[in-house]
Amino acid sequence: MAIEKNYYTIDPEGKIRCFKCKVPLIKGKAKFMYLDNGFPVELPVCPVCGYVYVPEELALGKVASVERALEDK
Amino acid sequence: MGTIKERGSTHVYKVNKISKEEMESMVARCVYEEPPFCSAACPLKLDVLAFLEAAAAGSFKKALQLYEKIAPFPLILSAGCEAPCEAKCRLSEIGEGVLISEVERAVSRFGEQSKLGGVFRSKKRKSTAVLGSGLFALMLAGELEKKAYPIKVFCEQDSCESYLRACAPFLDEESFAVELKRLRGKDIQFEFNCRMDAAFYDDIKGSFDVLCASDELRRSLFPEAEPNQELMFCEEQGLVSGRTEGVLGAAFGAKKAALTVDRLAQGLDPRNTRGQEGSVESRLYTDLSEAAALKRVPCPEEGYSREQAMEEAGRCISCHCEECLKSCAYLKHYKKHPGLLAREIYNNTQIIMGDHQLNKPMNACSLCGQCTAVCPNDFDMARVCLLARKNMVSTDKMPLAPHEFALMDMFFSNIDAFLSRPQPGFEKCKYVFFPGCQAAAIAPETVKAAYRDLTERLEGGVALILGCCGAIASWAGRDEMADQTHEQLDRELARLGDPIVIAGCPSCAKELRENGAKDVRGIWDVLLELGLPEGAHALERPAALHDSCGARGDEKTQAAIRELASRLGCELVDTPYSGDRSPCCGYGGLTAYANREVAGEMTEKCLERSDAPYISYCMACRDRFARQGRESRHILELCYGTDAGSPPDISEKRKNRLALKNELLQEIWLEDAMEDKLDYKLLFTDEARELMDDRMILVEDVIAVMEDFRESGEAIEDDDGLLVARRRVGNATFWVKFSLEDGGYLIRRAWSHRMKVVKREG
Repeated sequence: MAIEKNYYTIDPEGKIRCFKCKVPLIKGKAKFMYLDNGFPVELPVCPVCGYVYVPEELALGKVASVERALEDK
Repeated sequence: MGTIKERGSTHVYKVNKISKEEMESMVARCVYEEPPFCSAACPLKLDVLAFLEAAAAGSFKKALQLYEKIAPFPLILSAGCEAPCEAKCRLSEIGEGVLISEVERAVSRFGEQSKLGGVFRSKKRKSTAVLGSGLFALMLAGELEKKAYPIKVFCEQDSCESYLRACAPFLDEESFAVELKRLRGKDIQFEFNCRMDAAFYDDIKGSFDVLCASDELRRSLFPEAEPNQELMFCEEQGLVSGRTEGVLGAAFGAKKAALTVDRLAQGLDPRNTRGQEGSVESRLYTDLSEAAALKRVPCPEEGYSREQAMEEAGRCISCHCEECLKSCAYLKHYKKHPGLLAREIYNNTQIIMGDHQLNKPMNACSLCGQCTAVCPNDFDMARVCLLARKNMVSTDKMPLAPHEFALMDMFFSNIDAFLSRPQPGFEKCKYVFFPGCQAAAIAPETVKAAYRDLTERLEGGVALILGCCGAIASWAGRDEMADQTHEQLDRELARLGDPIVIAGCPSCAKELRENGAKDVRGIWDVLLELGLPEGAHALERPAALHDSCGARGDEKTQAAIRELASRLGCELVDTPYSGDRSPCCGYGGLTAYANREVAGEMTEKCLERSDAPYISYCMACRDRFARQGRESRHILELCYGTDAGSPPDISEKRKNRLALKNELLQEIWLEDAMEDKLDYKLLFTDEARELMDDRMILVEDVIAVMEDFRESGEAIEDDDGLLVARRRVGNATFWVKFSLEDGGYLIRRAWSHRMKVVKREG
C-alpha cells in the first residue's frame, strides 16, 4: 500500500481557479501513473469538473525526479 | 505520426546481447589498471610511483613508510637490491631511466622512522621460530614480526649485534647502527649461543606451531631435503626454508616464506590462495611524447643528498595510460576509465530488481569511436554502450524518455517531411541525392542549391530523398525501428532504379552502406570530380577543420574534404585530435537528447582545440558549434555560397524540413503541397521559445494543447492571472501558460511531464 505523499502545498487563498467552472481549485485526490507504477497524491483539483492542475515547479521538480527514479528501476 | 509504446516495468530479463566472456575480453583491453613497468618488475611489488612521488615532494617519512611495506630493513635492502625496476623504466628508452635504487637508499637514510607506539598490536596465537642466521632468516623474521606472529630467533651468535653482522656483513657502520636499532626495536625474541644441530632441532621443534630455518641450516640438518622454491617449504620436514640468491632474492624468498607461514598457521595448504607473486609483465601504455628531463641527476659515491634524491625522484613521469580520458569528454565526465565503466554498464544490464544506476552513462556515450582510435588496444566503449542499450530495449527495460524526442523526430523526417522523387523527366535515375535530416533542418537553402547543381551537372537523372537514414534508431539501440527505416529506404531506392546514393552526411553514408545500399558516395567526392560550382568561396579567415565521427576510419572522405577545402582556397589551421582521433560534437549517439550536460561538454571539448572558426562536413557539428557561439560553416555552405545563419531551434528545424519539402515539390515537381494554416493567431514570447527549445517542446505540441482548449474551454486561471491549458500528446502531458490576445493567444510558458495524472475517487 503506497503512502500518500504531499508533493505540493495548495495556495490557501483560492487564487487558482477553474476557467470553465469559475470556482477556486481545492486540495483534491489525484494519482500519478508512470511505467506501471501509481502514486496517490494531493493536487489542486476543480471541485466541479475534476480538472487536475500540475503547476510548473511541481512538474519540473518532484515529478521529474520521480520520473528519473522510476526510469532507472 | 502516432506514438511509441512506453516500456513496462515488471519484465524479467531474457536476453543477453553480450556474454560474460566477451565482456571480460573487452574489459581486458583496457590497460588503465595495469601496474607501471617499474612496479611490475619488482618481485616485492613496491608502489614505485607513490614512493617516488613522496620522495620528490620531500616527504621522506611517507616514502620510507611505503618502502618499509616491502622491506623490514630498508637500509639492508637498498644497499644490495639489484633494482630490476630501473631496467624497465620507460625513460631509459629515450634517455636515462630514473635511478630508483639511489632514491631508495637516500630515503632509507634520511627518512624518519614512524613510531609504532600508541597502536596496540594484538599478537597472533600461533607461535613461530626462525633458526639460524643469514639475509633470508633475518628478513623472514622481520616479515613475521610485521604479521604480528610471536616469534623467536635461535642463532649461534652471542648478541643482536653479531647476529646482524653475520646476516648483513656488507653494511657500512652508519647503516649498521641504524638497522641494529631497528632490529632491537622489533618485537622479536632472541636465543643466542645455540648449538644449531639435529639434537637441538629435535628438542625445540615441538614447541612452535611453525618452524623456519635459514638455507644454510636446512642444508646441514636435512641435506637430502628438496625445498619447493615457490613456497619456500620442505613439505616432508614441515620446515619453511629455501634457497635464495642476493639481497633482493632473500627479500622475495622471505615474502613467499612468510605467506607459507600464514597458510600453515591457519592449517591450510600453503599452495592455496597465494595470489599473484613475484614480478609480472605489464601491458601498460605510456605516452612518452611529452617526457622531458631525460638526464639523471649525477650520483656521488656517498649517495644522493636529500635534495638530489628529490630532484631525481621528480623525473618520474608517473606512467599511466589515460589516452581516452584525455580526449573524451564523456569518460572525463564520469571520471572512470573505460574498463571500469564497461564492467559497471555490463553489470547494470544484469540487474533484475533495483536501480539501474548506469542507464544515464550508457545513454550518454556518443558512440563516436574516438576511444577506439586513441586507445593503444582499440578499446571500444561505443560497442559496450550500444549493446547495453540494445539489451535494455530487447528486454523492455529501456525507458523512452532519453530517446523519444529523437525517435519522433526520425518519424517526422520519414513521414511528414519525407520526400522521394525521381528527377522530372526520368522514371529511373542514375543517382539519388540524400542530404540527411540535419541538412534539411539546418541548411535547407544549401540542400536546394546542391540538388539543383547535381541535376544540372550530372547525366542520367538525379533523384532526391529527404528523410532520415535510420542512424537515430540504430543509436537508440532500437533494431526493429532501424530495420523498418532501412526497409523503407530500400523500397524507395528500388523504385528509383537502384541509383548511386550521393550522401550529404558522412554518418548517413555509413549507415546506408552498412545497411544494404550498394553504391554510396559522398557529395564531396562528386564535387571533386565535377569541379566547384559557381559561387563557391573560401572562408576569409583561417579555419579549423572538424572531422566528423561518421568519417572515422574513412581516410578517403577525410582526404576528399581537405582537398575540397584547399580548392575552395580555405586556409586550415592545425588542431590536436583531428582525422580519426576527432572528438564528437555531442550529437552522435543521441547524447544531445539523452544527456544535455555531457553533450555540452563534448561540444566544448571540440571547440577548445582552436579559437578559429570551424569548418565541418556534418550539419549536426555545424549546428552545435554555432549554438555555442562559434563561427561555424558546413563545407557545402562554402561550396554553394549559402549561409544557413544562426542555428534554428527544435521547432524551426521541423518547420524547415517541411518547408523544404513543400517548396521543392512546388518548384521542381510542380505539385501542390498541403499546408496547414491556423485560423487563429498564435504568438510566442521570446522566453517561451527559449523554454520550449530547452524543454524539447515543439510548436506542434503547443498547437495541440491550444486546439484542445479551443474545443473544450478547459483551463485554469493561475495565481498570476494567466491561463494554463493541457493536453496529453503521446507519452507526455504538455502544459501551456498563455494570455488571451486580440484574436488569438500569446504563449508565455510551457512545460511537460511524462507521468499521467488522473483524479482519484474516494
